[in-house]
Amino acid sequence: MSDAPISARYYPPSGDAHGHPALLRWEGGHLLVAPEDSEVLRIRAAALRAEARGFNHSQWAIAWPGEGGEHLLIVADAAIAPLRAVAPTLFAAGAHTQRRTKRHFGLGVTLLILLPLLLIAGIFLAVEPLADRVVEHIPPSIENQIGEAVLARTRLDSKLIEQGPAVDALQLIGKRLARPGENLRFYLAERSDINAFAAPGGVVVVYSGLMKQAGSAEEVAGVLAHEIAHVELRHSLRQIVRSAGLRVIVSALFGDYGALGGWGARLGELKFSRDAEREADARGLQRLAEARIDPQGMLRFFETLARSENKATSAVPTVFSTHPATAERIDSLRKALATPVPGTVERIAANWDAVRQALPDTKP
Amino acid sequence: MAMDVVDYEIFGNEMQYVEVELDPGEAAVGEAGVMMYMQDGIQMDTIFGDGSAQQSGLFGKLLGAGKRLLTGESLFTTIYHNEGSGKRRVAFAAPYPGKIVPVDLSTVGGTLICQKDSFLAAAKGVSLGIAFQKKIGVGLFGGEGFIMQKLDGDGMAFIHAGGTLLEKTLAPGETLRVDTGCVVAFQPSVDFDIQYAGKIKTALFGGEGLFFATLTGPGKVWLQSLPLSRMADRIVMASRVVQGGGGKESTSLLGGIGLGSLLGDDD
Repeated sequence: MSDAPISARYYPPSGDAHGHPALLRWEGGHLLVAPEDSEVLRIRAAALRAEARGFNHSQWAIAWPGEGGEHLLIVADAAIAPLRAVAPTLFAAGAHTQRRTKRHFGLGVTLLILLPLLLIAGIFLAVEPLADRVVEHIPPSIENQIGEAVLARTRLDSKLIEQGPAVDALQLIGKRLARPGENLRFYLAERSDINAFAAPGGVVVVYSGLMKQAGSAEEVAGVLAHEIAHVELRHSLRQIVRSAGLRVIVSALFGDYGALGGWGARLGELKFSRDAEREADARGLQRLAEARIDPQGMLRFFETLARSENKATSAVPTVFSTHPATAERIDSLRKALATPVPGTVERIAANWDAVRQALPDTKP
Repeated sequence: MAMDVVDYEIFGNEMQYVEVELDPGEAAVGEAGVMMYMQDGIQMDTIFGDGSAQQSGLFGKLLGAGKRLLTGESLFTTIYHNEGSGKRRVAFAAPYPGKIVPVDLSTVGGTLICQKDSFLAAAKGVSLGIAFQKKIGVGLFGGEGFIMQKLDGDGMAFIHAGGTLLEKTLAPGETLRVDTGCVVAFQPSVDFDIQYAGKIKTALFGGEGLFFATLTGPGKVWLQSLPLSRMADRIVMASRVVQGGGGKESTSLLGGIGLGSLLGDDD
C-alpha cells in the first residue's frame, strides 16, 4: 500500500457535530488516526467496524468504541482503497451493501422503462378478449341499430333496386333460406361489384353484380347462406367491436353500446379470419341443407369465381378478395359435398335467365 | 486543479442577488439566465458543458452536456471572465424569493449534493455533475427525483433556497425528518432516506404526502422553507384563470383532491 495518508473527518464521542479533519494511516494491524488539532489515536483492527453509508452509500463510516462513547470516521469511497487493500474483511459487509444498492438501482431503472411498455402491450393483448366479452352481451336492439346503419350507408353509396324479376327472385331465395321465425330482410343494391353481405339485425344486402355473375338461384343462395352464417356466428359483430377501438369497447363493457352502432356501418369492409370463413362455410351448408337447396350451387359459384380470379382480370370479385385461399375452401367444400346430403333437394323456382337480363348492364 | 478564488457579496433580503468580484483573469460559471449585470471588462462566453477542467476533448464535453440535459438545465453554461486590468464585478440574481447560500466547497469536503435546480453560480473550475439517486424508494418518493446535482471542487459555489434557509449540522446519528420537497443540499456523508408517514389519513388529508425524507448525520444539510413547487401550486390554485380554482381558497374538505374532475363525465 502507498504510505500517503488518507484524509477523513473525525467525530469524537463528545457530540461535536462538525467533526475535525483527520489523516489515517494503517500500521502493524492498527489504524492510526491523526486529527488536525489533537493527539494521534491508535486503534486495534479488531475493535473497528465499517459500513457504507451516506448518499448512495458512497461514504464509509468507521467506528470504534472508546472512552465516553463511540468514535466515528467518515471517509469518501474514492479514498478508501488503500485501507480496503490491507483490511478487506473489515469492509466486506459495506461493499456488499454498495453492490446491492447498485443492483437495485439497475433493476429499478429497468422496471421503470419496462413497465410502460408492458402496460401498452397488455392493452393491445386485452383488446381481443374485451371485444369478445362485449360481443357476448350486445343486445338485439343494438344489432338492429347496426343493421339499420348498414342499410342507410348502402342507400347512400348505391341505388337500391326496388322491383323487377331480380328482386322477386331474391325474395324467393330469401324465403327459402330463412328459418321459421327468423326475420331476414333482403335488399338488392345496384352495383357492379360481385359482393354481398349480411348485417346484424337480419339485413342482407346483395349487389347486382353478384346476381349477374351467378349462373343460377342456387349459387346466389349458397353465397347468402355463407354470409348469413357470419352474422349468426357473430363474426361480423366481433370484427366491428375489434375495429371500434378500446374506448368504444370499454364504454360498451359498461353498457353504453351507442358508439358501436356507427361502427357497424363499415360492415362491407370487414375481413374475417381463415377459421371464421371455414366455420361460415360449414354453417352455410347446414342452412342450405335445412332449406333443401342444392349445395352444389355454392361450390359452383366458388369455382366460377376462382376461375375469374385466375384470369387475373381487374374485376377481382370483392366478395372473395377478403376471403383467403379460395382453392383451399373449394377443396374442403368438395369434400363436404362428396357424401350426399340426406333428403331431397328442391329447385328454387326462378327463371334465372330472365333475372339476369332484367339486371342493368353495369360493367365496371 | 486550482480554483479561482472569488470574493462575493450578497445583497437583498428575500429576493437576493450575489455580486461576485473577479480579479483580472479570473472567471465564474453561471447558470444560464441568472445573470443580473456585469461591469465593463467582463467577457461573457457561452460554452458547451460546464467549463470545468475535467472535461477535455469533444467526448468529455458531449458527456457533460448530456448530463446537464438530464438535469433539465440548458446544454450551455455561461462563463464570465474578467479581461480587464482591475477588479470587476458580475451579479447573479435568485430566480424566486429565497436565500442565496454561499458554500465553500473546500470546507465541506469538496463535494456537495444539491437538488437539481438549485445551482446558481460558482467559481470557474467547480464541476457541475449529476448524481443519480440510487436508492429507488428515495428516487421515487423523495421529492427530488432520481437526478441530483453534484458540485465538485474546492471553490465557492452559490446555490439558491426558496423562502427561508435552514443550515444545520447534524451530529453522527442525529436524524431530522423533513418534508420531501424542502431538501436543498447536503454533504455526501449524510444519509438521505425516506420514511412512510404511517397513516393513510395523514397522507390523504394532512397534505404532507405519504413520505418524509429522513436525513441522518454526520454532515451538513441545507433546507428551504418554501419549495418553488409549493408556491407554484398555491399561485395556480388562487388563479381565477385556472378552472376549479374559483379565485378563492377552497373551503371544502375534498376541494383539493379534484373530486369533481374524478367523478364528472367528460361530456
